[in-house]
Amino acid sequence: MTRRARRPAGWPRAATLALIAALLLPAASVQAGPQAGPVVAVVSQQAGVVTLIDADAAAVLAEIAVPRVPAGIAASPDGRTLYVTHPDPGLVSRIDVAGRRLEASFRVGREPFGIAVIEEGRALLVTDWAGDALIRVDATTGRETGRATTGRSPAGIVVDAAGHAYVADRESQQVSVIDIAAMTRTATIATGRAPFALALSPDDERLYVANVQSGDLSVIATATRVETARVKVGLMPYGVAAMPDGRAILVANQQGGNVAILDAASNSVIARTRLGDYPEGIVALDSRRAAMASWAGDAVEILDIAGARGTDHIAVGAGPRGLVVLSAPGGDRPGFEVVRP
Amino acid sequence: MLHRLVRAVSLAVSLGLVAAGLAPLAAHGPTPQRAEETITIAASPDQVWKLVADFGSIGEWNPLVTKVALTGGSAAGAERVLTLAKGEITEGLDEVDAPAHRVSYRLLKENTEAIPVSFYTATIEVTPAGAGSAVRWDARFYRADTTNEPPEELNDAAAIAAMTDFIRQGLEGLKAKATAK
Repeated sequence: MTRRARRPAGWPRAATLALIAALLLPAASVQAGPQAGPVVAVVSQQAGVVTLIDADAAAVLAEIAVPRVPAGIAASPDGRTLYVTHPDPGLVSRIDVAGRRLEASFRVGREPFGIAVIEEGRALLVTDWAGDALIRVDATTGRETGRATTGRSPAGIVVDAAGHAYVADRESQQVSVIDIAAMTRTATIATGRAPFALALSPDDERLYVANVQSGDLSVIATATRVETARVKVGLMPYGVAAMPDGRAILVANQQGGNVAILDAASNSVIARTRLGDYPEGIVALDSRRAAMASWAGDAVEILDIAGARGTDHIAVGAGPRGLVVLSAPGGDRPGFEVVRP
Repeated sequence: MLHRLVRAVSLAVSLGLVAAGLAPLAAHGPTPQRAEETITIAASPDQVWKLVADFGSIGEWNPLVTKVALTGGSAAGAERVLTLAKGEITEGLDEVDAPAHRVSYRLLKENTEAIPVSFYTATIEVTPAGAGSAVRWDARFYRADTTNEPPEELNDAAAIAAMTDFIRQGLEGLKAKATAK
């Protein structure tokens, strides 16, 4: 059964307990303990807000207003800072997670869209949809510190541990591979039509690319930079996630209104379940569960992978697209002290 | 009864620099919009579905469509060229789910003179409602000019207005056709 968790008028129970605990404990121990579930940050494009969600409690922790039409989102490795792109006004915003506040917005390129955090949070990589470039930005000052040419309309970006950025060049039907240290493109890899979102396997050996127009998933061997499989997944796949245990791949089919679950060993679709209304971004919470943005449903859906079903529905601001899990090194979740009014 | 649900983003005019104008007009800009309308029809879901499932029949019931050239029948992969007042657009049929009474299609060849959007996907679904049917027509689309400073006739508001009108007139026409004596 689906539990419908709407933004409550009062405090959610878990938050109330956390608040009580916070009042009873010294400030230093207010940090979220092991009982705290993964925290998801989702960007709502129409509403112009970033919502923080406690995935276990299926509850909204905070809603933070940002400049208009935000699209992409990324978190620093310690989970304390979020960065959001705004393609229309050409901005990137920085959010202080603990303070629940917008710290700064700076101009980056022409239509900043996809974003990744690198160098332990000191720098950002931003795709410029209208500028056909990947731009490196100082995370503190917003100053551009490097630029590499990509194909046309670069959309999603992922970064591996070896210092490569993979950019989905939506209008060029390819992925550009960028050497981050040199900010130089070292390869391009052909994909299906309109590649948009990407995900890396936990060992960085395989790159998964969701091709929106051709409705398939490109599986690329990163060592050889060869597409080894192309799998039909559904209509307009806009989101892809690789599970941390390396066993399953999830694809959110936006027009299909469903999620495809693929077996990573065989690259075959093993389940497809209707979930959300125009689903887009999808991220793993752990190896059993994922969170997905339901763009037209104005919600985040929690997916139980083994059961291939939605378990929780959390209402958020209008038009959620991208989302990210806040995490800290060693698997600790960052400070979710208390929900402040 | 006709429900309107149009997602309109803030249409505040931004004060930024005029875009350099180098971005390709055909690109699918990153800010999608949506129009969704539902109509109830005093005809059985099967009767209404027959019309909806016939991919080439839209010219018989949407008053904004003056001519249809269909290739590939009414199966996934079919294409139709619609003649509208100011030009032609081409649509492709993506999926026909007969048990669910649902079709999904997309714009294959844009013509922003004819309808000011650069791309859309749409779904029409027929469900039982009382003694008759409810038809939901839902589209997700991008404005015609996807650069940062689109002119008024090619901006988000123009796209929402045009898509909403196309859907609304289509549903009214479908209702008239399905209930014609």
